Amino acid sequence: MKRLSFLAALLAVAVAVPLSIGSSHREAPRILKDPTADNTDVWAFTAPDAPGSLTVVSNWIPLADPAGGPNFYPLDENARYYVKIDNTGDGYEDVAYRWQFKTRFRNPQSFLYAAPTVDSVRDPDINLVQTYDLYKETYNKKRKLVDVERIADDAPVVPDNVGPKTVPNFAQVEAGGVTPLKGGGKTIVTPADDAFFVDLGTIFDGINLDAPGRPNIGLGNQGGGKDDVAGYNTKSFVLQVPEAEVTRNGKPVAGADAGNAVIGVWSTTERRRGSVLSRGKHGRGDRWVQVSRLGNPLINEVIIPIGKKDKFNATSPANDAKNFGRFALNPEPARLLNALFNLGVKETDRADIVQALLTGVPGLTQIGKKPAAADTLKLNLGVPPAANPNRFGVLAGDVAGFPNGRRLIDDVVDIELRVIAGALLPADQGGKQIPLGDGVDQNDKPFRSQFPYVALANDGFSSDPKRIEPQHAPVPQPPQ
Amino acid sequence: MTPIRRNLPKLLAPLATFACVVLLLAPGGSSEGQPRGGGARYASIGNDLLQKARETGDPSYYTRAERSFHAALRRDARDVDALLGAATLAGLRHDFGEQLRLGIEARRLMPESVAAYPEIADAQVELGRYRAAERTLQRMLDIKPNLTSYSRVSYFRELHGELDGAVEAMRLAASAGGGARENVAYVQVLLGDLELQRGRVGAARLAYISALRSRPGYPAGMVGLARADAASGDLGRAAARLRRAAGRLPLTATLVLLAEVERELGRPAAADGALAAARAQQRLYREAATLPDAEAVIFEADHGSPAHAVRLGRRVWDAAPSVRSADALGWALTRAGRPREGLSFARRAIELGSRDALFRLHAGIAARAAGLAASATRHLAVAADARAALSPRAARRLEEALR
Repeated sequence: MKRLSFLAALLAVAVAVPLSIGSSHREAPRILKDPTADNTDVWAFTAPDAPGSLTVVSNWIPLADPAGGPNFYPLDENARYYVKIDNTGDGYEDVAYRWQFKTRFRNPQSFLYAAPTVDSVRDPDINLVQTYDLYKETYNKKRKLVDVERIADDAPVVPDNVGPKTVPNFAQVEAGGVTPLKGGGKTIVTPADDAFFVDLGTIFDGINLDAPGRPNIGLGNQGGGKDDVAGYNTKSFVLQVPEAEVTRNGKPVAGADAGNAVIGVWSTTERRRGSVLSRGKHGRGDRWVQVSRLGNPLINEVIIPIGKKDKFNATSPANDAKNFGRFALNPEPARLLNALFNLGVKETDRADIVQALLTGVPGLTQIGKKPAAADTLKLNLGVPPAANPNRFGVLAGDVAGFPNGRRLIDDVVDIELRVIAGALLPADQGGKQIPLGDGVDQNDKPFRSQFPYVALANDGFSSDPKRIEPQHAPVPQPPQ
Repeated sequence: MTPIRRNLPKLLAPLATFACVVLLLAPGGSSEGQPRGGGARYASIGNDLLQKARETGDPSYYTRAERSFHAALRRDARDVDALLGAATLAGLRHDFGEQLRLGIEARRLMPESVAAYPEIADAQVELGRYRAAERTLQRMLDIKPNLTSYSRVSYFRELHGELDGAVEAMRLAASAGGGARENVAYVQVLLGDLELQRGRVGAARLAYISALRSRPGYPAGMVGLARADAASGDLGRAAARLRRAAGRLPLTATLVLLAEVERELGRPAAADGALAAARAQQRLYREAATLPDAEAVIFEADHGSPAHAVRLGRRVWDAAPSVRSADALGWALTRAGRPREGLSFARRAIELGSRDALFRLHAGIAARAAGLAASATRHLAVAADARAALSPRAARRLEEALR
């Protein structure tokens, strides 16, 4: 469901369709949201303070209101949470990191989640305790699982930032959640400020653009937008491992041109299935089935039609060309830009979009010679971090940014808008340089320069969602 | 210049919203599988109204929700959200044939989405089409295992007497969670109810406490704790909790249980008051075009006229020949002094293998009255295993029948 969850919440669409009232017959809910399986974003980058390592941030459970009650949505102990890596370019995982959680209550009779004061990640005043094991799976060329290694054991999930009375020093509690990994590197699973930033609100209210109090955001390239994700928390899974753990030859990356330099990253969620009825047989043939996945930002939202989303979430990136290639090649948003605003954007045969996001840019983010068109976030591990990162990434000549991986500061909404409008196409092939944006340029809270990089979770007591971007001079296309 | 054109620059806002714009604007949008524009807002208003109906227990919201869904469908007969909302409403009104029709129509429009499957599965179960329901549920479980599918699978297993599997699936539903805390609280209550059926009062109590932790003050959670109290013999506490729950949400089932507990406590006036409230509530549902269902039949058989209950039971059975309807009609017949006919329907109620305490109690009492002592003993023994799930009055009937 991804970002559509936001649409749902902001539209105040009932998140669950009512259960039966006047009757005892047991209709279960028809939920429109499934946050514990909902992976909203993946970032993959080389952190300036950790050269030689891959850093991945993957978020689950969107739009958690910090004041909405602590541990409102614990992670699903019956699900598998994955960050997957393709280092051969076929769209299948070669290395996969799997988090699996356990939940227990210290006092099951209590109606509380935590009591003052929580001073450490394993504080006995935390009633709902979640822990996890992290496994590293390795696959061979025939896609067979050849090795599973537990690289973290019984690590604590950082509890929610209830407020200064319950958690006087959240940073200290969070620091206790950083867990070293067997084989090198570290991980943490923590509530964090949602690192995504976007203005969703303008259009939701029946295209109510003239609402009083709304600053003029122009083309969206001069600030003035409202960050609708600001102030909300999510669960961030942050993973940092030595490059050699994930490259195709198991060796560090010598440079941007090295044959092992580029990897594709995505996250998935799996749940258990089985037979509806056992009919007296032992066991139900439990198997795991993928219910959600995410690679590049916003693909699911704007490229995949609503009726295909279940299929998208259930399938592998390796089959994206066959299943969804036509939607990327002829993207709906391009048609929409033209239908609404008559911009003359190229609507069909958008090989530029397929290349930027799915097959990779040759010489920068293409894996191997004949890569599959797969929705994975491609990162060239040989490109050193930029000294002065630009939120427009590659569009602004900063090749250490999106779509070469994705850093937390990368403004993927503005970048993708400009790309869809034709920023990557030569002028004689329908290229257009249109300075579009959403009026939001950065996250509401600054990111940290050290692990786990995401901003500290907002606390429930002083929760203050949403933020307006200050206005500034228009940013042209190409950006300066 | 149209307003949209005039506001062009501002409309070029977030990429992420374009999916939404498609819903709201694109006239006859050509995109594959996209629901087309127009009524999206009406559909969402309809769903809001159904939510309101649930929160207040006031079924007059049904009528208003119906108008919203109709408005959406008039604008676009292919509006999947409106179709599914209307399907849910049909189910709430016990018009399962209509629920099935609308669900199938929605699936036809979005064949690769599971969105319509819950409506289809619910209707098939209530219409007694269990083989078809099993196929639908298996498909849901294969494509999208989540709270929605696990909780339905759990109920289906329960109907087949697979209580351990039902508990397992409901635990998966609870840990999967949902978009609203009420969903989670709701399945935690259902988990508690299953534990009562398994005779595990302590485990049931913990499940109800989880529900109340998910949603403080949740009426269904309080009813659950009241049932656990009653099962452990603390009727005074049960009555207090039921009064609180009924004050928040005056559901028929809560009021009837309260009446029965009050009666056991020797407070007939309080019992009569609760029953009168239950009758008023039933009337409200009828006025909101809700068809009678098994619950109404049992209510009439226990607290009204058994002869009328039989007539009502026939109607319910003809419209929705489920095991639940069979149990209700069977009980009405037994109460009306026709235990042989009652037994034949009671047997239908358990033909899938259900070990439901009330189904088995009804079957046992019918068998005893029909002079089939061995059969009665068998059914009553199963009911006795699950007696924690029975109301105090039903539990007393069980004791009498076992004597």
